[in-house]
Amino acid sequence: MSFWAYATANASEIGARTLEHLVLVGVSTLVAAGVGVPLGVLIARRSAMRGPILAAANVLQTVPSLALFGFLIPLPLLGGIGARSAIVALIVYALLPIVRNTFTGIHGIAPSVRDAALGMGMTDRERLWMVELPLALPVVLAGVRVATVVGVGVATIAAAIGAGGLGVFIFQGVARVDHAVILAGAVPAALLALLLDGGLHLLERRWDWRRT
Amino acid sequence: MTASAADAGTDIAFRAVTFGYDGRDVVGPVDLDVERGETVVLLGESGSGKTTLLRLVNALAHPRTGTVTVLGRATTAWDPVRLRRSTGYVIQDVGLFPHLSVRANVELVPKLEGWTPARREERARELLALVGLDPDDVGARRPHQLSGGQRQRVGVARALAHDPGVLLCDEPFGAVDPMTRRSLQDEFAALTGRLAKTVLFVTHDVGEARRLADRVVVLHRGRIQFTGSVKAFERSEDDVVRALRGSA
Repeated sequence: MSFWAYATANASEIGARTLEHLVLVGVSTLVAAGVGVPLGVLIARRSAMRGPILAAANVLQTVPSLALFGFLIPLPLLGGIGARSAIVALIVYALLPIVRNTFTGIHGIAPSVRDAALGMGMTDRERLWMVELPLALPVVLAGVRVATVVGVGVATIAAAIGAGGLGVFIFQGVARVDHAVILAGAVPAALLALLLDGGLHLLERRWDWRRT
Repeated sequence: MTASAADAGTDIAFRAVTFGYDGRDVVGPVDLDVERGETVVLLGESGSGKTTLLRLVNALAHPRTGTVTVLGRATTAWDPVRLRRSTGYVIQDVGLFPHLSVRANVELVPKLEGWTPARREERARELLALVGLDPDDVGARRPHQLSGGQRQRVGVARALAHDPGVLLCDEPFGAVDPMTRRSLQDEFAALTGRLAKTVLFVTHDVGEARRLADRVVVLHRGRIQFTGSVKAFERSEDDVVRALRGSA
């Protein structure tokens, strides 16, 4: 059966798996942003914590995804078979680009701007919310975009631990040596990555103060 | 605080102030009073301690020994945020916030101080006009859409927005071309004279000191080498002063 014939015959299942995939990536990226942005702010302000936090995020990034899924399965609360372990692993992978870009965005702010904010009598919190984060936003969003695109790819492997998503087709196709089934997972995953990349890029441009 | 530092009429007072690091003094001891409404220009070569003295006033730097008194209270007794909001601060690179419009830059401290939007807008328009800018023309623009001279004017307007008693200027016109600098200096002198602000102004430009100063304070290797009127500066036989005059 050709890819198109298979895709047409299984359109509703492909749609459902795409939605599962989107939920895996969306939830994990949002949580990673919720954790990663504050961590990036923290290491931008406390240089002593910069090395250990970036090193930890780097090391976690190097763990092969299938191995990480495997490590997570036996863990209580975080692990188990299914979406929960997958989301935890995807959060781990999404952290590094978000933490690093938040740090880079804040650290790259011109010293004169920092000096002026301090000299004008802005509190720590005011400087963070009114100056540092808005100025760092385009770089932070670029990190979120990278994390999202990487997440779409890694999430295909999550099917190995029963998390669903488009990886289900890929694993079935590999087992049956059926290219049409592999493509039924791979093509929507690639399109999803392109779509999310494009959408986030638009958002990044829209909120980029340098372009206005 | 000494009695003279507490005198009504003295807005900034340095008493036996030293600053340093690694157990070594690089500035001081310095004793200096800046009277209300006076423009004191700190003049000296790079590394003479001018900027450090300025930053001791708004607690961006802290003395190793001695006391800096601002508006009647030692800097150590001030909440740093309140102290900085009681002093305007203009720096060479201006430090305008690039993501905010000109008007939002000027309105920022009044906004933090809880002014109503209408009052803030009125103040921003008034100040932009005062520094020679058309509020309708530049108000909505971003800093990168302005010339260097316009940015400096906005920097001055922003520093004056919350009507601080003291204005601290760290080579604010150092990065603009000579023609623009001259015109900014003249406008600045007229403006601070009209507003009767106390100004502590750092520069290494002798011509700038001559045009702006009620009193010139020459710093050399972290210490005050000379203090006096512009006339006294011109007449001084002090070697450092003569060298400075010669470099102009």
